[in-house]
Amino acid sequence: MYYQVENVKLLDRYTNRKPANGTLYLTATHLIYVDASAEVRKETWILHHHIASVEKLPLTTSGCPLLIRCKNFRVAHLVIGHERDCHEVYTSLLKLSQPVKPEELYAFSYNPKMPKDSREIGWKLIDLKVDYQRMGIPNDFWEITDANKDYEVCNTYPPEVVVPKAANKATVLGSAKFRSRGRIPVLSYLYKENNAAICRCSQPLSGFSARCLEDEQMLQAIRQANPGSPFMYVVDTRPKLNAMANRAAGKGYENEDNYDNIHFKFIGIENIHVMRSSLQKLLEVCETKSPSMSDFLTGLENSGWLRHIKAVMDAGVFLAKAVKEEKASVLVHCSDGWDRTAQVCSLASLLLDPFYRTFKGLMVLIEKEWIVMGHKFSHRCGHLDGDLKEVSPVFTQFTECVWQLMQQFPCAFEFNERFLLEIHDHVYSCQFGNFLGSCYREREALKIFEKTHSLWPFLLQKKQEFRNPLYKGFTVYKELKPNTLPFSFQFWCGMYNRFDKGMHPKQCVLDHLLNCMSQKMKLEDNATDLENKLPFLDNPLPNEVCSLSKIVNASVESSKTPMLNTPQDYESEPPALLTNGAIVEEVDIMPDQDQKNKENFANHHDLLDLNSTMEVIESDAKKEKPQHQ
Amino acid sequence: MGGVNYVSRRRAALQPEESDEESWEELVPLPPSCPLAGTAAWSWGGREAPGAMLGKGAGGSGAKPAKPSFVSYVSPEEIHKKEPIEKEVNLHLLPGELLLCEANTVLKCVQEDGSNRGACGKLICTNFKIAFLGDESASDDNEPEFKNKIIGENDITLHCIDHIYGVYDEKKKSLSGQLKKYPEKLIIYCKDLRVFHFCLRYTKEEEVKRIVSGIVHHSQTPKLLKRLFLFSYATAAPTNTDIQNQTVMFDAIKDWREELERTKGNMKYKVLNANEAYKVSEKLPLYFVVPMSLSEESILQYQGRGIPIWCWSCHNGASLLKMSAFPKEQEDNTSQMHKIFLDGIYKTINKPPYEVLKTDDLSSSLPSLQDIQAAYIRFKQLFLIDNSTDFWDTDVKWFSLLESTNWLEIVRRCLKKAIEVAEYLEGQNTNVLLVEENASDLCCVISSLVQVMMDSHYRTKFGFQSLIQKEWVMGGHCFLDRCNHLRQNDKEEAPVFLLFLDCVWQLVQQYPPAFEFTETYLTVLSDSLYIPIFSTFFFNSQHQKDTNMSGEGHRAQSSHFRFLTVWDWSVQFESKAQVLLNNPLYVEKPKLDKSQRKTTRFKHQRQLSLPLTQTKSSPKRGFFREETDHFIKNILGKRISKLINSSDELHNNFTEFYDSWHCKPADFHGLLLPHIDGPGIKVWAQRYLRWIPEAQLLGGGTVATATKILDMIEEVQSLQKKMDEKHSLTVPQGREALPMLRNSARLSSLFPFALLQRHSLKPVLPTSTWKDLEDEDDLAKRDDEFVDLSEVI
Repeated sequence: MYYQVENVKLLDRYTNRKPANGTLYLTATHLIYVDASAEVRKETWILHHHIASVEKLPLTTSGCPLLIRCKNFRVAHLVIGHERDCHEVYTSLLKLSQPVKPEELYAFSYNPKMPKDSREIGWKLIDLKVDYQRMGIPNDFWEITDANKDYEVCNTYPPEVVVPKAANKATVLGSAKFRSRGRIPVLSYLYKENNAAICRCSQPLSGFSARCLEDEQMLQAIRQANPGSPFMYVVDTRPKLNAMANRAAGKGYENEDNYDNIHFKFIGIENIHVMRSSLQKLLEVCETKSPSMSDFLTGLENSGWLRHIKAVMDAGVFLAKAVKEEKASVLVHCSDGWDRTAQVCSLASLLLDPFYRTFKGLMVLIEKEWIVMGHKFSHRCGHLDGDLKEVSPVFTQFTECVWQLMQQFPCAFEFNERFLLEIHDHVYSCQFGNFLGSCYREREALKIFEKTHSLWPFLLQKKQEFRNPLYKGFTVYKELKPNTLPFSFQFWCGMYNRFDKGMHPKQCVLDHLLNCMSQKMKLEDNATDLENKLPFLDNPLPNEVCSLSKIVNASVESSKTPMLNTPQDYESEPPALLTNGAIVEEVDIMPDQDQKNKENFANHHDLLDLNSTMEVIESDAKKEKPQHQ
Repeated sequence: MGGVNYVSRRRAALQPEESDEESWEELVPLPPSCPLAGTAAWSWGGREAPGAMLGKGAGGSGAKPAKPSFVSYVSPEEIHKKEPIEKEVNLHLLPGELLLCEANTVLKCVQEDGSNRGACGKLICTNFKIAFLGDESASDDNEPEFKNKIIGENDITLHCIDHIYGVYDEKKKSLSGQLKKYPEKLIIYCKDLRVFHFCLRYTKEEEVKRIVSGIVHHSQTPKLLKRLFLFSYATAAPTNTDIQNQTVMFDAIKDWREELERTKGNMKYKVLNANEAYKVSEKLPLYFVVPMSLSEESILQYQGRGIPIWCWSCHNGASLLKMSAFPKEQEDNTSQMHKIFLDGIYKTINKPPYEVLKTDDLSSSLPSLQDIQAAYIRFKQLFLIDNSTDFWDTDVKWFSLLESTNWLEIVRRCLKKAIEVAEYLEGQNTNVLLVEENASDLCCVISSLVQVMMDSHYRTKFGFQSLIQKEWVMGGHCFLDRCNHLRQNDKEEAPVFLLFLDCVWQLVQQYPPAFEFTETYLTVLSDSLYIPIFSTFFFNSQHQKDTNMSGEGHRAQSSHFRFLTVWDWSVQFESKAQVLLNNPLYVEKPKLDKSQRKTTRFKHQRQLSLPLTQTKSSPKRGFFREETDHFIKNILGKRISKLINSSDELHNNFTEFYDSWHCKPADFHGLLLPHIDGPGIKVWAQRYLRWIPEAQLLGGGTVATATKILDMIEEVQSLQKKMDEKHSLTVPQGREALPMLRNSARLSSLFPFALLQRHSLKPVLPTSTWKDLEDEDDLAKRDDEFVDLSEVI
């Protein structure tokens, strides 16, 4: 079932070329545009859930323009021939992009035709208990408690949380009454080497003078769980003024005098509303057509976006430093402890622990700090038709912080930029159940574990494409110490101008290197293969081997060292190799790469002759096989 | 006073040959009115140890007035032999370098924290550099791996000094001319953006006077050309005759002929030797290339002005030309004559086979030299930082500060102009004539940028160096004036060459695999502008170099007199350091024979045919190789010249060209167009931030990428070796390993420039909090803090 409109133009924001002319299809889940003018069939798929806004622009001579802005920062500018068609598309899109009931979300209809048990296994892929075990929990100081099993402590926390052993049930319940929405201090990350911990909670209901003994005990228990340090930090990630204003509403922040040995700090990260409007300004800059240097730089500055990113990063660095260098535990909160707190805690973990810089690690981190601890994905991402003031790019900012770190430490992450973009896409796509709802309890109620699929196994399948070829391995980098000077923060073209192809490097070095990696792997296989065959070769056919090795010699000769600075071209391979058939497959080494990249590869002989040489060698190896089998 | 009086020694040494000039005085800065004038000044008297010894040594050689040079040369060994006691002072003098003054117990402050932490040592000033000889410099254990052999970590060549400030009672004052009062602290800003703080509080007053006035004098006062250290060095240095250099110097007619042949420009253009002995013009090189149809007399008529001079030819036959314009004349008559002359010239070269000609007056379409200089002054201020507090202050407004300098916009405009020119040449088969007053400033920038973008030969190291020889050195760029090496006229100063390097850097960072050299190469090249042992950047023209060389040459009565060229990188770097100048990802242009090319070309052409140019050949393959088909077609098929003045059309052509190129996959050996949208242009971090410890990133940055790539290369090589062994081949020789990049997980991102033993003490608190704490009491004034209770909660 779909709706179809002919004669639709898709304008390209950055190039002046003749707009494509084609057909628009509306399905239940996607808007699909098929370019009829191109020689190759070119399709543009836009998920309805990705659509942030649809705007009808004034009528022009060529038709009725429709501007579609997406949550993954694609901007599609369609021109539809007839006004009536346009209006119909417009109204249907409005309806389709803003589902009212959770059951209408894509995840509930998405069916990858997967056996039931593998779907269930998928949901068990990430087990937080394993991560706590990795940190050495339970231990003498920390325990996993099911105090929240019926959500009686806090309805936005998961049933099981990690609290200090010294905190008994009364302390936990008492503290819950003194914390906004019952979000008590729980462990986020334990730095095993010195027992310093990062904990998170919401703001205390302190007002101007209120105290709570249990809460004070709770903090004391956290401090004492780290015997190496005489004090602990309590970090309020809000600007001081915001926190002060909250006191009038009976909330606020900890009074240093009431708690034993705490050092209280404010870190001024702005609230979700400031962030939302900042992103709005940033996107306006991104949409300016061929901005001058001055437009771009002032626009970037006035948006304040990178300043906010820096604030988050600064806070993460502060936490990591406190834990690593001052050996002090830190308790972090903001207002409710699910936005800024999630950003800051996950970032600090990422800085401290190389595990979180792996595929699995980042998934665990997102699961632990965001999904389970009740970041309101549904509201922040606007999954359902609702209050626009609740929408804010909090997770986007976290993603960007990770990216900024990847820019500064290109060899410290197992994954590449595409992995981040893919996760970011799916946070908004609602194709998988992980990010539906706003807390664990809600997800249970939605039965997402029974009715939907998990994103993580899907991502792991595509691991090859998300790999960072520059990754130096788990052990090389321990803590990261990023630079947080303003010039260290770059504008993330790959995110905010991702769909403007003209803005990106022509031949992505990433593609090169990924290609090299898989070539290398194959070479290794070949080498072992040959090694295994060697014993057979030596004995039966000495003459043939001899003559063969001469041929091989000749072809390898051309590809001899030095590897990278010799004139080489894989097209100069002996033509006989091309008939081999196997070679064709060989070139196509990246099954999951999207079409574009494949094209790039195919007609790019500049893929350092690394490949070429290797292909030559490889095909030599191939040639050898049939002779002796 | 004891020792040899420096002034008189100098006088004795100088007088025989310099008596015709009064210039020797300028070496001796102190007029009688100065309190320092007299016997004490500039003498080694009273100073113990090395100074005195050196004095004796120098005096010894100075006693031979017959020596042809005007300075004497003391070998460093000589000093050492005579002074074994002062072993910690590791004074290394170059040939021809002479110690002028020194001061002991100077404290070199480490910038951060505003504290006076730092090393104690000796500050010296020679006729080549200012150097700080710290105690720790004696120990060679932790020698930096990427070491410049000429300029040490604590050396500043006199030409590299940008500004000198003195600190008086916490106040900073620019130092120049005669000083009445001597500062307690000396701050030296360098042109390579280092900042040195020397505390003189513990130095003897007399020494302070001597060193401060010495430094100020030798670095700030106008100099005569002959006073350049270049000449002292060239006279004194042993000449190594066998300089093997592949860089084409363009000082011989054959170089030009070969270039014409390479670019297939030789059918329409000819090399002239009319300027031998500089008969035509002193601005022009000995040999230059003009359109064949141009008559010799027209060239002679106005000293080469108004003559289109060939720069380069595109594979399709379209050529890039430049012309020095006539100066704006008041007199109608003259300007009328100029106009007639120009019309004649245009007529000649607009005729077939030269087809259409597009003229572009760069002085009106690009920023002026004054604008460039002003922008650069503002720009570099962002990176010349006195202390880290200043630096943290830029925090909040970094991008608007960057924007207000306008430097990046100028870079962008140059790149844009170069794309425009490339579009005419490549897209429209149109000759382009760049016009500028002397055709030696922005002309150089644009023409060399166009060539780098269009001709992959110029993206190799030797090609790039040849290009700089061709367009800049021979092209008569006034390096001496633009760098203000002689300090004669501040108004002439403009960082034109640096602007070019910055533009090239933008290309390098956008297309790393397309260049044989790295950004480190560009950075090091930009530093070489201020090292006066290479002649490359120390003359205004070839004529100036020749006249000064021959003059000195015959007086020196030997052929020993020879300048070094900067392209001999072994002078500055050991071979293991030179490895860092080469890009490991670069792949040379494949050389194929014809039969194989046909098939491959077919494959590529499908994707690459631009809609706007039918005649355009595939840029994928060798630019000038076997393109004759197209070439001849272009010459024979006379295209109807069309007017291309309408700016609207220009804009459309430009964007269409730009866009359609960017829609295609790039060929690193073909045309290369930079991104010129805002996010595409970046700050050349390596050059501008390298000395700022706060900018350091341990284990990160592009260096990390480079090391990883080198690792991968090595791995592949070892695998290949393994394969080869399996095929019972002889073991191929591996690429030279890079020992300095090994074990480098914790390498600083500022490598290879990061200074050792620097620990940045970043505030433990994030800056924003830091600020909060500072401004705690004016919380109420924070107007950006819009607090709506409902929102905050």
